[in-house]
Amino acid sequence: MSALSLADLQTAFRSACLGSDSPDLAALVDGERIGADARLRIYRHHVFDSLSTALGATFSSVLSLVGEGFFRMLAREYIAHTPPSGPVLSEYGADFPDFIERHERVRDLVYLADAARLDWALTRAYGSDGGTALTAAALAAIAPEALGELRLRLRMGVSLLRSAYPVDRIWAVAHGKDDASIDLASGGVELVVFQRDDDAAFARLTRGEAAMLVACDGATGLAVALERASDADSSFDFATALPKFLNLDILAAP
Amino acid sequence: MKTSHLIIASAVAAAIGLPGTVLGQAKAETEKCYGVSKAGQNDCQTASSSCAGTSKKDAQADAWIAVPKGTCAKIVGASLTPSK
Amino acid sequence: MADGAPSPLPTGIGLRARHLEELPVRKPDVGFLEIHAENYLNGGPALKRVERLRADYRFSLHAVGLSLGSAEGLDAVHLARVKALVDRLQPDLVSDHLSWSVTSATYLNDLLPLPYTEESLAVVCRNVERLQESLGRRVLVENPSSYLSFTHSTIGEAEFLAAIVARTGCGLLCDVNNIHVTCSNMRLDPTAYLDALPRSAIGEFHLAGHVINDADGETILIDDHGSRVAEPVWALLREALARFGEQPTLIEWDTDVPDLDVLIDEAARADRERRAFHMGAAA
Repeated sequence: MSALSLADLQTAFRSACLGSDSPDLAALVDGERIGADARLRIYRHHVFDSLSTALGATFSSVLSLVGEGFFRMLAREYIAHTPPSGPVLSEYGADFPDFIERHERVRDLVYLADAARLDWALTRAYGSDGGTALTAAALAAIAPEALGELRLRLRMGVSLLRSAYPVDRIWAVAHGKDDASIDLASGGVELVVFQRDDDAAFARLTRGEAAMLVACDGATGLAVALERASDADSSFDFATALPKFLNLDILAAP
Repeated sequence: MKTSHLIIASAVAAAIGLPGTVLGQAKAETEKCYGVSKAGQNDCQTASSSCAGTSKKDAQADAWIAVPKGTCAKIVGASLTPSK
Repeated sequence: MADGAPSPLPTGIGLRARHLEELPVRKPDVGFLEIHAENYLNGGPALKRVERLRADYRFSLHAVGLSLGSAEGLDAVHLARVKALVDRLQPDLVSDHLSWSVTSATYLNDLLPLPYTEESLAVVCRNVERLQESLGRRVLVENPSSYLSFTHSTIGEAEFLAAIVARTGCGLLCDVNNIHVTCSNMRLDPTAYLDALPRSAIGEFHLAGHVINDADGETILIDDHGSRVAEPVWALLREALARFGEQPTLIEWDTDVPDLDVLIDEAARADRERRAFHMGAAA
């Protein structure tokens, strides 16, 4: 058995870590006392264990909702299919929610993918530099006749989540902050997920508020965004929505 | 209906005019601490104690012995039985 | 000190997420804090907490994902992010491991073993040089815990580390627990390992717990960082102190991270060991 180049050895090791047997690699491992397969298994187990733990920390609602044993099986499939593409573990799992949505074993837990999307949005909000939030003072500095064309943007790390299920209450149940049972028929929610000084958080939006923020994020001017909001929700009131957005620090400074 | 610049300007003026205490109060009511600082963390242990052991077999990806058994029991209106 | 040597920096602890809120309130008297670079690359609240702690503590930046042993070279994006963090935090020490974790843009989240060959040595030295050039400073390379060795290795691990130092001018992070674990798993002599390390290159000691497990019915030590430092590792620390003298010393704990008090207590034990060594050396 001739030695592999380092690049080929690392490719083979990757396969071994992700579950495929690699006789070429095993032949290069000193099996004295403890066999090559048993030695390689230690690394394989750790890759899956540690990545599964990382996913469980990021997707803490999903972990709580399905329980640890089931979560680890979901995670194992996901890891084998989509190992991390970069070394920052808090950034791992971007498409775990989509993976959950497609997975037939959890098809009946219809809300699970949205719970995962909320987990992901919270993690992104927490792990964002944030930038500077729009303040009332900054708005006051803008000429009134220019406001209609003003392009408000979401602050870095802020995201919007629309769900057909009460995913905010599901989050609370999953984290032991609400003990009531939840009827999925009680309806969907529009959420904004954002960073706080020392944490990340979410808040409910009305349909009109959500429509306005979606429009703003799509780079339309304020006047058009307000029309979209009124079209989506005839009770939309900008005079209520704006102080709420300023309170939550979810808009970016111009 | 075209939203007039006057409406926008007056709403902005009203929001700006709110006293800071009102803004702060609203913030306290709408925000909660969600404690997400435990998102996936990089660490540098090279294995956990479960990594060795005499078991020759990995937990197999296709051996779905577990069913969801968590707080999903509190969510009604959806089946708790995983589909076949 | 009786011998006139500068008073050593008290033992430091690895900063973990579960202590991020408690540390700034309690401000325990530990020598320094070591953070994992990959947990603070995004900015946000976690990094802001660390920046506030800089008023009270010295810092060491320990990377776990640079993958110094990758044949494909360092990831330019990751390197730039680590550099930005180094520039922002200005840590006293910067380190990563003699291992690899990235291949074909897949990150395997483990400190994977290298064959110790001339080819690997060239790869590691190229990567260490690029890292040092990029950061504009000397880095420390840490010896890993290993569970296997490759039959085509031609160089011993300690000699391999010495060669990296000779070629790149980097320093070494001497993880005493890892030496114990690796030497036990590979049936090597830990004192001979220490003897083969270049004395002047050592820039930090790491201490952590391991667990004794079995594989194929044989004992294997697993570096899980989940318990107190084992007695044989304290004994090996005394051997290391005798050879390398006083160095910044760190307690690491990653699995089942305990209350902060346990880490402080473990750091105090390390301080007692280090003081006892100094008293002996001065006598």
